[in-house]
Amino acid sequence: MKEENRLIQIENQVLISEITRMFNVMGKKSVTIVARGYSMRPFIEDRRDKVILTPPRTPMIGDVVLAKIGESRYALHRVIKEENGIYTMQGDGNPTYMTETFRMEDIIAVADSFIRKGKRIETTSRTWRAYSFMWRMLKPFRRIILGIYRRVKK
Amino acid sequence: MKIKKGLQLQNVCGEHIVIPAGEENMDFSHIISLNPTAAYLWENVAEKEDFTVEDMVQLLLAEYEVEEDIASEDCNLIAERWKEMGLIE
Repeated sequence: MKEENRLIQIENQVLISEITRMFNVMGKKSVTIVARGYSMRPFIEDRRDKVILTPPRTPMIGDVVLAKIGESRYALHRVIKEENGIYTMQGDGNPTYMTETFRMEDIIAVADSFIRKGKRIETTSRTWRAYSFMWRMLKPFRRIILGIYRRVKK
Repeated sequence: MKIKKGLQLQNVCGEHIVIPAGEENMDFSHIISLNPTAAYLWENVAEKEDFTVEDMVQLLLAEYEVEEDIASEDCNLIAERWKEMGLIE
């Protein structure tokens, strides 16, 4: 009957509905989740970092949004384009420059801050904005940088 | 002892999770989850202004087939853990 620290893996679908319930029913202003996957490298690392999410709102270019991108498919990526209500997003760490599209109603939450290596970084902070700017400038070289990063990381 | 004000036991993602109702943030990366037995005890002492380990033992004996000394050991452990985690006062 001893309580232990353990990792509970929650199915995406369940977590998504819980996040929405926290906002709409429980009246929470934000929800913290552990980051999963490698598509937001090099800033956000799988399981090491956390993301603090706030309720859906109209996203701006550069915002990191958690959205439904298909049947039971979700992504937490950066918004790079908006055209006639169709938003395009892309993971910072996708070496193939793959994008996804979604509409306003597909937004589950918007990232407010990240907890990177235990340190909280708000999306309005200078650090985040400088990183975002730099990463945009480095776009043509992402594949190379991410390749090196992946090797160094091991 | 009693359970601290504002703590709610909720079923989240199929787990019994203790949620601080007053917190504006719900932290899924750091949750306190109770096993079914602990959750049963919690539900039954949540409303009590003052409860003892002995109350917990009686609750356990009423619901589970368990020897009294084992129940007592378990309840002491649970109460200790709850105290450590700041769930009771």
